[in-house]
Amino acid sequence: MEDYGLDLHGSILLDEYRQMCPALEKMKEIALSIIRGDIAAKKLMVTATEARVKEERSLAGKLELKGNKYATARDITDLLGVRVITFYSDDVEKIAAMAENLFEIDRENSVDKRKMHQLDSFGYNSLHYICRIPKRLYQDPDFPEINEIRFELQIRTSLQHVWATLYHDSGYKSGVEIPKEYLRQMNRLAGMLELADEQFCLIRNGITDYRRRVQALVADGRIEEVALDGDTFKSYLALQPFDALNHRIAALNQAEIQEVSLQHYLPILKDLGMNTLGDVAKMVRECREDAFRLASYQLGATDIDIITSAVALQNLCIVAILRRGGGKPGLKALFDHLNGVSESNESLAQIIYSQAETLNLI
Amino acid sequence: MEITIKENGTGLLCTLAGRLDTPASLQASKDIQPLLDNADKEIVLDCSDLEYISSSGLRILLGIRKETARKGGKVIIKNIREEIRQVFLMTGFYNLFEIQDS
Repeated sequence: MEDYGLDLHGSILLDEYRQMCPALEKMKEIALSIIRGDIAAKKLMVTATEARVKEERSLAGKLELKGNKYATARDITDLLGVRVITFYSDDVEKIAAMAENLFEIDRENSVDKRKMHQLDSFGYNSLHYICRIPKRLYQDPDFPEINEIRFELQIRTSLQHVWATLYHDSGYKSGVEIPKEYLRQMNRLAGMLELADEQFCLIRNGITDYRRRVQALVADGRIEEVALDGDTFKSYLALQPFDALNHRIAALNQAEIQEVSLQHYLPILKDLGMNTLGDVAKMVRECREDAFRLASYQLGATDIDIITSAVALQNLCIVAILRRGGGKPGLKALFDHLNGVSESNESLAQIIYSQAETLNLI
Repeated sequence: MEITIKENGTGLLCTLAGRLDTPASLQASKDIQPLLDNADKEIVLDCSDLEYISSSGLRILLGIRKETARKGGKVIIKNIREEIRQVFLMTGFYNLFEIQDS
């Protein structure tokens, strides 16, 4: 075993630590599993969850500097460190609440460094909880100390993590004092990152509010004023606006309808000049009879009894393209979009165009 | 209806020849079992000699597509005849498969 030149008390603490290592390694896996399980159950997205047992050399360095502060190795609360890194600062609070429900928190030794700053200072913004794994979550008669040893849980955002890591690298733990000039620059960066974290949260909350408002408008049928985009189209599709036409077409041959995604029609609808969900609803109202006639012409003479839920919207688009004067090039562009650019789509466009002429759709 | 399957560099190449209609589909659904077993790979369906496809045939192709989607593979349909391309279009199957001209 390596000799770090510690005094007697430090050497005793280091020996205690060595004996604790198997339990610490086991605790690491258990704590990570508990945290990851709860994060997944709550459907939270985080950048990373990680854990480490303090390395012997690092502990020896700590004991050399402030070993007398600890009566036993169990007083050292960061022998096991667990870290959760979130995308958003709002999520730090959620993970903190989660940890409070999961673990026994040693409040006296837990620190919210975010609240430690003076009004005119920035810096190491992070939430540190000192925790124990309660018996209700894990118990092992061979390792009773797992419920007794405390560990440190750090919760911080990705930006806080970047700052803290770089600050750490710059000499915070090396014992070398950082010149004030550089410390000031680091703190300026911390302030900037804090503002960036705040902005990311504001943007996320804004988008969430927008989605809720739009979903409410769509659900109330007030779609005229709702802009057509990926989110709103998804909400609109949930109302099954093409189902009536699909069922009418399916009834021609008593066909089954295979449900498929229609989301890829969004750029086609945009190309057709539709800017709101109201425009799409208008196309359904105005083109559905001709779309049905086209489907009826194509399928009526066959015994095909399977279609997909894309048939109605596909035929609506064909009719809309022809009504807007898109002609064969417009149809080819539609087929190119549906199945990739191909010369064969030109002859397909010709066939559909001829069918439309026969039905007087043009 | 004749179905032959062989390995190509990246997955399986399946050649469909004849009429994939209701009478043929029972045997065809057995013949394509290796495709379902290898649905994590790229499956190329060469339809140069496929003369006709019925609803039963469409269901078989749909089954292959669903299995590849589930297992992370991919279906490519090659050399499809114009009449069958039209069937794909009128049924809404057209964008379910990657169709290559050659």
